[in-house]
Amino acid sequence: MKKNLLIFTLVLFSSAFIFGQNKKAAVDHSQVKGLTCKTCHSCDIPTKENPCLINCPRDLMVTIYQKPKDAPAEIIINKVKDNKDLYTPVKFTHLAHAEMAEMSGGCISCHHYNPPGDVIPCSNCHEPKRKREDITKPDLKGAYHRLCNDCHRAWSGKNDCNACHTLNAQYAGGKKQPIISKDKKRIHPEIKTPEIIKYETPKTNKGKMVNFAHTQHINTFGLECQSCHKNDACIKCHDQRDKSNAKPATFTQKHKNCLACHDTNNNSKCNMCHTNDAKDVRFNHKARTGFDLSKFHSKLSCVRCHTTKGKFTGLSSKCSSCHGAWDLTNFNHAKTGLKFDETHAEFECESCHKDAVYNKPDCSDCHDDKTYPKDKPGKLVR
Amino acid sequence: MPKQSRRDFFKTTAALSAVTAGVTSTKIKAESKDYIPDKAMGVLIDTTACIGCRRCEWACKVAHDMPTASLDTYNDRTVFNEMRRPDHTALTIVNEYPGKELDQFPIDVKFQCMHCNSPACVSACIVKAFHKHPNGTVTWDGDKCIGCRYCMVACPFQIPAFEFDKAIEPDIKKCDFCFERTKVGKLPACVEICPNEVLTYGKREELIDIAHKRIELYPDKYIDHVFGEFEVGGTSWMYLSSKEMPKLGLPDLPRATAPGVSESIQHGLFAYFVPPLALYAILGGVMWINKNRKNSDTEE
Ligand code: SF4
Ligand code: SF4
Ligand code: SF4
Repeated sequence: MKKNLLIFTLVLFSSAFIFGQNKKAAVDHSQVKGLTCKTCHSCDIPTKENPCLINCPRDLMVTIYQKPKDAPAEIIINKVKDNKDLYTPVKFTHLAHAEMAEMSGGCISCHHYNPPGDVIPCSNCHEPKRKREDITKPDLKGAYHRLCNDCHRAWSGKNDCNACHTLNAQYAGGKKQPIISKDKKRIHPEIKTPEIIKYETPKTNKGKMVNFAHTQHINTFGLECQSCHKNDACIKCHDQRDKSNAKPATFTQKHKNCLACHDTNNNSKCNMCHTNDAKDVRFNHKARTGFDLSKFHSKLSCVRCHTTKGKFTGLSSKCSSCHGAWDLTNFNHAKTGLKFDETHAEFECESCHKDAVYNKPDCSDCHDDKTYPKDKPGKLVR
Repeated sequence: MPKQSRRDFFKTTAALSAVTAGVTSTKIKAESKDYIPDKAMGVLIDTTACIGCRRCEWACKVAHDMPTASLDTYNDRTVFNEMRRPDHTALTIVNEYPGKELDQFPIDVKFQCMHCNSPACVSACIVKAFHKHPNGTVTWDGDKCIGCRYCMVACPFQIPAFEFDKAIEPDIKKCDFCFERTKVGKLPACVEICPNEVLTYGKREELIDIAHKRIELYPDKYIDHVFGEFEVGGTSWMYLSSKEMPKLGLPDLPRATAPGVSESIQHGLFAYFVPPLALYAILGGVMWINKNRKNSDTEE
């Protein structure tokens, strides 16, 4: 262990020294967490001259994250240039693409295996020459195009070189063509989150539709877009392919996202979501269970309370069933938004809240002329 | 009558020729002397990366001074509505097959001469118009060719194409692995132009290692088969794919080399002066089987 530590410190110092000489630290090793040197390097003491990097893909992905706006808005891709090239270089609207990547995998969608620190140019690993020694990974031209084409061919089913490139003069009848140029400030328009998404399910006899309470799911469970949409490509929204001959999606494919919380394989529970009434939004925790999450439990994930996957019943709505017994010593009433005045701060909970779910107080035990919420036993703090 | 497979046919004809001509079965070789592992180059085609842009088709024609339509016409994807084959107007073509699942891309597959380790075309040619070079390339020499078209019959991939439209001095056309380019250190034209580097050019043995490594790293992406590693004794051009090869137009072929057999037909017969009539009977049979095979192909 000690020996390892020594080597590690040595490596850190030597790399700090080397990078210090070059002014600019390419990789910020202090931010590399939970990895050993051997995750990325094959030798004991890697140097900048010989970092002895092991081949990608490495089993553990290390990566960077930057805000789209922190990166260049536009990049001219001309590292693989040859006078016999068919096409002109591409003006790549980095900002717009970074914005789009935010909606799926982030920077990592393209900048794979980039350790924390500076963004490493693609050409560090992918050689600009096609005729080369190391043919285990694609050359730079191949690497670029594979990244672009993964999405670009997806939504249209086409791969029109002209979508990004213009022909060089010698192939365009001698006429010089302008480089395709788009507004570099362009970003992806904000995506409106739908309140309710209606799915038609005509094939099942369990109900002809699912009215999915999208916003409620987000609010109730404190979800981020990526919680569900993590693997969505552009094609999720921009799909122009001809699907007339496509095989229909399987049961599992259709229920993929729901399955994370709902037991979709249980035949008796289909009507949790499937209905025949277009106005019937099935999911409403309060309406279905009588337990309103919106006030104090909206940020919890389902599993915090429903600890067994697929099992959502059997929980008591009594506060004490999860929180234990509350009394003056362990409950800070100010958290509810109401801070007691001095008089009321002394009372036991049950003096005002008569039931086990701490419903709105009843003042009539002490006061003939006061009612809640017109009168308050303290002041509102939020 | 139980259908006689092409291979079985070869076996019987080989035995037959061995009897009639007194050739010993040692003539039937499994490994070709033509394959030199240290020198043989190859191309690994990763069909999972191909986008069907057909720039390879264009570059191939330009490199061989063959007439071609303008580059923009290659964006037309309706050509994929029918399956094409390399012919005397195009030494390589790209076909498109349905993807594996609903949300997956179609699979585009480039096809050309495979440059077999033990080329059937070379053995079938009576006048040695075909030649296998140390770097794996199989070329055709117009000065020697007598136009008998045995090569077309012998090739397990039906590659050599005959310029039927030319009355005077028709040529046999097939991919020449850009021999003139590789000779001077250039890459084959299709390899050079491919935007996605679907085509990796390198030592054949190294490419096989790379192919298996890729399969190991991405077992969900590839099926565990390097087409051309063993087929008909191995080929210089090899394929990786996400779908079973026969569904991508790559024939299901045995590991054994067909040419070893036809080699003994040709060379054996000629060496022992078997009357040409017998030869024609045998080769006619080969043609007949092949024709049948084509018919059954189209029926499928
Ligand atoms: S694929 Fe056919 S033409 Fe090409 S080398 Fe093999 S046998 Fe000859
Ligand atoms: S290697 Fe040369 S001849 Fe063969 S398909 Fe490629 S470009 Fe055409
Ligand atoms: S150039 Fe490359 S990507 Fe384009 S069709 Fe040919 S092999 Fe496929």
